[in-house]
Amino acid sequence: MDRAFQRSKILTNHLLQSSASSPARIRSLSSNACLNYTPPEFSENYAFDIKEMRKLLDRHNVEERDWLFGMMRQSKVFNPRVRGGKVFVSPDYNQSMEQQREMTLKRIEYLLERGVFKGWLTENGEEAEMRKFACFEVLSIFDHSLATKLGVHFFLWGGAIQFFGTKHHHDKWLKDTENLSIRCCFAMTELGHGSNVRGIETVTTYDSNTGEFVISTPCESAQKYWIGGAANHATHTIAFSQLNINGTSQGVHAFIVQIRDADGNVCPNIRIADCGHKIGLNGVDNGRIWFDNVRVPRENLLNSVADVSPDGKYLSSIKDPDQRFAAFMAPLTGGRVNIAVSAVYQAKVGLAIAIRYALTRRAFSLKPNEPEVLLLDYPSHQRRLLPLIAKIYAMSFAANYMKMLYVKRTPQSNKTIHVVSSSFKATFTWNNMQILQECREACGGQGLKTENRVGHLKGEYDVQSTFEGDNHVLMQQVSKALLAEYVAAQKRNKAFKGLGLEHMNKPCPIIPSQLTSTTLRCSQFQMDALCLRERDLLNRFVAEVSQLKSKGESEEHAFIMSYELAEDLGRAFSDRAIFQTFVEAEATLAAGSLKDVLGILRSLYALICIEDVAFLQYGYLSVDNATAVRREITKICSELRPHAFALVSSFGIPDAFLSPIAFDWIDANSWSSV
Amino acid sequence: MASSVSPQQDEVLVEANSFARTLTLNRPKQLNALSFQMISRLLELFLAYEEDPNVKLVIVKGKGRAFCAGGDVAAVVRDIRADCWKAGANFFLKEFTLNYLMATYSKPQVSILNGIVMGGGAGASVHGRFRVATENSVFAMPETALGLFPDVGASYFLSRLPGFFGEYVGLTGSRLDGAEMLACGLATHFVPSAKLPMLEAALCDVDSSDPAIISSIIDQYCEQPSLNEQSVYNRLDVIDRCFSQKTVEEILSALEREVVHRMDGWISATIQTLKKASPTSLKISLRSIRKGRLQGVGPCLVREYRMVCHVMRGEVSKDFFEGCRALLLDKDKNPKWEPSKLELIADGTVDCYFSKVNNEDWEDLKLPTRSKFNLPPFAIAKL
Repeated sequence: MDRAFQRSKILTNHLLQSSASSPARIRSLSSNACLNYTPPEFSENYAFDIKEMRKLLDRHNVEERDWLFGMMRQSKVFNPRVRGGKVFVSPDYNQSMEQQREMTLKRIEYLLERGVFKGWLTENGEEAEMRKFACFEVLSIFDHSLATKLGVHFFLWGGAIQFFGTKHHHDKWLKDTENLSIRCCFAMTELGHGSNVRGIETVTTYDSNTGEFVISTPCESAQKYWIGGAANHATHTIAFSQLNINGTSQGVHAFIVQIRDADGNVCPNIRIADCGHKIGLNGVDNGRIWFDNVRVPRENLLNSVADVSPDGKYLSSIKDPDQRFAAFMAPLTGGRVNIAVSAVYQAKVGLAIAIRYALTRRAFSLKPNEPEVLLLDYPSHQRRLLPLIAKIYAMSFAANYMKMLYVKRTPQSNKTIHVVSSSFKATFTWNNMQILQECREACGGQGLKTENRVGHLKGEYDVQSTFEGDNHVLMQQVSKALLAEYVAAQKRNKAFKGLGLEHMNKPCPIIPSQLTSTTLRCSQFQMDALCLRERDLLNRFVAEVSQLKSKGESEEHAFIMSYELAEDLGRAFSDRAIFQTFVEAEATLAAGSLKDVLGILRSLYALICIEDVAFLQYGYLSVDNATAVRREITKICSELRPHAFALVSSFGIPDAFLSPIAFDWIDANSWSSV
Repeated sequence: MASSVSPQQDEVLVEANSFARTLTLNRPKQLNALSFQMISRLLELFLAYEEDPNVKLVIVKGKGRAFCAGGDVAAVVRDIRADCWKAGANFFLKEFTLNYLMATYSKPQVSILNGIVMGGGAGASVHGRFRVATENSVFAMPETALGLFPDVGASYFLSRLPGFFGEYVGLTGSRLDGAEMLACGLATHFVPSAKLPMLEAALCDVDSSDPAIISSIIDQYCEQPSLNEQSVYNRLDVIDRCFSQKTVEEILSALEREVVHRMDGWISATIQTLKKASPTSLKISLRSIRKGRLQGVGPCLVREYRMVCHVMRGEVSKDFFEGCRALLLDKDKNPKWEPSKLELIADGTVDCYFSKVNNEDWEDLKLPTRSKFNLPPFAIAKL
């Protein structure tokens, strides 16, 4: 019926146009295009309550989020532009690098004035931390540069002061940091050392005559690199450096160093250079720093883990340098959690745009004179985009789990947080890039326009797979941690406990020889399949490493050689852990439309994980069963098609933060808008 | 026109001129306050005109010194007292449906705002494509003083005013003149009232629904009014700083901080106005405008309908009845709000107004389907 209507409308337009005579008529009809934009709001409907769904996805501080969205939408500082009768806010990426940096700073100042950062460092507790997470997620939806610059200031510098520092540091710095009367950066990475923090070359000695530390950059590879905020704005930094006391290196320590005065002049004995234009994130002023025997007072050592007495004695309650280093690194998990979560929100932006576009853009008719087919009505388009919805839902639940784990942290849960945040950060950021690329392609040429966001975001977010730990390195750490669990359990002859590995204590699950649709959609089967892969890969990894060791290889070398299994295992752990959070989220719901649609999504998520080549390679699935999995995925995609609009509307991203192609793209591109 | 005209239909006068229809709100003694009958009649007419290819343009104006002073709430209160809250709810159901129809109308509506435009009057005009202000225009959303909240889709249009001007206008009920209406976008044109007859005549000759053509016709009679030096619109910086705050309490303390910096009569008066308004109204109004900023006009009206039903039902607060008593019936201008202070209202209480009404056979507002019309981009953008 809809199609017949569409066709008649096209015909009417043609007829009217040919009979137009008076000038007024021509004018009125020339704006009447052959194709009309039909908003998805008209053609699609909601089979479940999208507000409830949003609450489930966002989970906390929904009011707060909307307040902040509104705050940005209403200000000129956030570069509002009208397209197709709607306001969109997004940075002007056509500005020069310098202008983008200044705008980022202006936006921060605007948000500061409105009290957005109130309590970010001076309030503690779960509620304050969750609020911070929520605000950060919203800010990252607007712009990654804005979020990154704030992340460096509040979470890296602020976090370091909170966690590495002691009371006098807190008293001296936290308030000034929160109200931005100082602007801060975090100088850890060097040209020669990134993920391998322990290898950094900056050296600090202590001068007991003056009670000062002396920090120096001994060689070019020791210059601090990629330091966000350093190139233009930062007044203070935390310098990571080897601490050398009386000729003995005590490992990496952190020092507060002022690098600019209040007027923005670079301090003596500091040299700063710009990292230059980047493939994205040009609103962040990344810089390089050299220290030329910079002297800082003894109190500037962040001394929660180790201290130096006035007369120059090294004091630490943690004797083992490895443990000391681990204690140092623990706070960085906060940043990792933030990165992982904001990757999920970015993927939401991309997918909401691509789905909305696919619900309004048509291409090719099946028969002559028939209206063209809506992109999302092509099974191939469904197969490309709908599994991504399932991925995003799964990641949202996993992100909520991770945030809770983080805010409820105890010394005992540090290891779990480290493993979970490492694996989720790698998985989410990789997924984000994959999702954005698919969305870009799904939007065709429109995906290439910067104002449409999907394509441009790839450049802005690419860095996520590198900063705060290279994804591959993180995944290897996950596998190493799992191996350590395995060895510990075997040694003590104890059951597995923690990291979700309890399934290892049970008998090995068996995959039925013939998978039916019912089995494939059963959450028990799905869990079994994912556990089976994790269990088997962990066994294989342990066996391979120990085999290499028995051949005389060192443990380190054995790990390096087993990288394939290590990566497969990391992914297996991650997929299973994410899936578990999905099952748990689903279990909290009473029977109803919400639970039904989540059940379908859960199955889709499980099946795209099970589609992974490892299942065939290691023989968990027969060729026939692998075919059945694929067939089921296609079927689920067509079942999800009617829910696609409601599912992306539930992301709760305001229209202004999507892009023109997500709405009336015909009017947005009309001659009158030129 | 029809020969047997009932008295109720006289409350809306209809004039047909080739492709234009002029609807005149005709209850001048009540400042054209919208009665249930008027709303029903307007709805009926708008629905019919949309289907009628001979209608290309709808002009709406008011008889006498008001365009429309709002919904006839005194009558609503009377109905509720006599019958039940659902009688009141029914009024708003019709009114909001009309607001939605106007907001998503496939043909241009030109509202001539030559006088008072308040509450429901704003709802019957601002949603339309063109709003013509004059030197006689007086705009206000005075609901918070009455124990109500800015409804009729105000959470949509107020939240889209520049910066946080919408929060200011919605919470304080501040009055705006024609120049201010034009400056902030509530009006699309300003035409001196002396030129209105010529404008109306010109519009009656139009044979097109093209907004560009209609806009250019109105442009011919337009003047650029200058803002009064004392205009609140010149205080946007203060308004943005204060009314962007997260809660009503924080807005008030931000205003009080401003007064500390320098004595300012306007800010003090603003504080006084806020302190006199119903605390519950302020809280739900702020929440509603904030939500409206991120929603289309349909969801805004659905939400406002929930809210207004809670208000009519009076289970959470009876401020609306108290406000009507003090301002419209007894006219002692001294309402006793309950709860009496902002601090006494928990977030959970505010939440109640946004939840479904727990009452058998109550339903969420069902908006008319608009998909069968070829909506102009102006309407599509509001969805």
